[in-house]
Amino acid sequence: MDCRTALEKIESKADGLLPREEAAELSGHLAGCPACAAEDDAVSATGTMLRALTAIRAREKAPALDAMWTRVRAGIEETREARRRPSWIARWGWIPAAVALAVMALLFYPAGTDRSPFHPSTFDVAVEDVESDVATVALVDKGEDLPKVIWIIEDAKT
Amino acid sequence: MPRPDPRGRAGTPVLFILLLLMLAAVPSEAADTVSVDVGAVYASNEGTSIDPALGTIRGKLQSMFNYTSYRMLERKRRSLSVGETGEFELPDRRTMRATPLPARGDKVRLLIQISDGSRKLLTTTLGLRRGGMVLVGGPSHKAGVLILIISAE
Repeated sequence: MDCRTALEKIESKADGLLPREEAAELSGHLAGCPACAAEDDAVSATGTMLRALTAIRAREKAPALDAMWTRVRAGIEETREARRRPSWIARWGWIPAAVALAVMALLFYPAGTDRSPFHPSTFDVAVEDVESDVATVALVDKGEDLPKVIWIIEDAKT
Repeated sequence: MPRPDPRGRAGTPVLFILLLLMLAAVPSEAADTVSVDVGAVYASNEGTSIDPALGTIRGKLQSMFNYTSYRMLERKRRSLSVGETGEFELPDRRTMRATPLPARGDKVRLLIQISDGSRKLLTTTLGLRRGGMVLVGGPSHKAGVLILIISAE
């Protein structure tokens, strides 16, 4: 193995990609070549330092990453809960709609024959004209407290 | 931040529109139409019963007429627009036609025509306030007479 090939193998070894047979061949070369052995030591030391530095950075950032993940997880849970639980409008919104429909039905439903007893608010009635082809008609007015009466006296019957 | 439920947002305008339509519709309906209420009462001297359906008008009937029994035979109500004629069937094949006429304020004017077959028993024009009442009586029925209670709202 020449030194150029050995340098390529050293980088592969530092990356953990060197097969076992080639690693043994490289070790044989390093044993007889001080320059390559020094390069191997330097590359190995650099890899170790880089890994150590990455671990330190990861430890420094760990609390912030944990907090961020906690917020993301809480947001996901709130969204799921909001979708699962209907809003107060969705839950109670049918009540005003039902009341409106009931009022509409009471106002516009055709009236039948059975209704509440008569409770007139006034007997103030003006009889503008009154006539009959076949009967005698009398208007009876006994004052404001009593309703006016139009009395039909059927001819030949009464 | 929790997001509002999109279904709730969509339902709110629908409810408001429904309520607005209802509020807008009710006053115009009340102002442009007249509710004509007609009760046919059989007054006679057969028995002494007074129909509770007559309400507060019972005492008035007793003080105005000399009959001992008053029984409600029919009661009908129609909501009529001005110019629209509503026909009310009465006992003994008699009919009453009511037509609201133009009037101002809370006044109601009604053209009333009561017929017995082809015979016109009565034609009258009444001016009354909403909630007012007038009686039309005299047509014979069985052993007594019919008294029509006509009110308008």
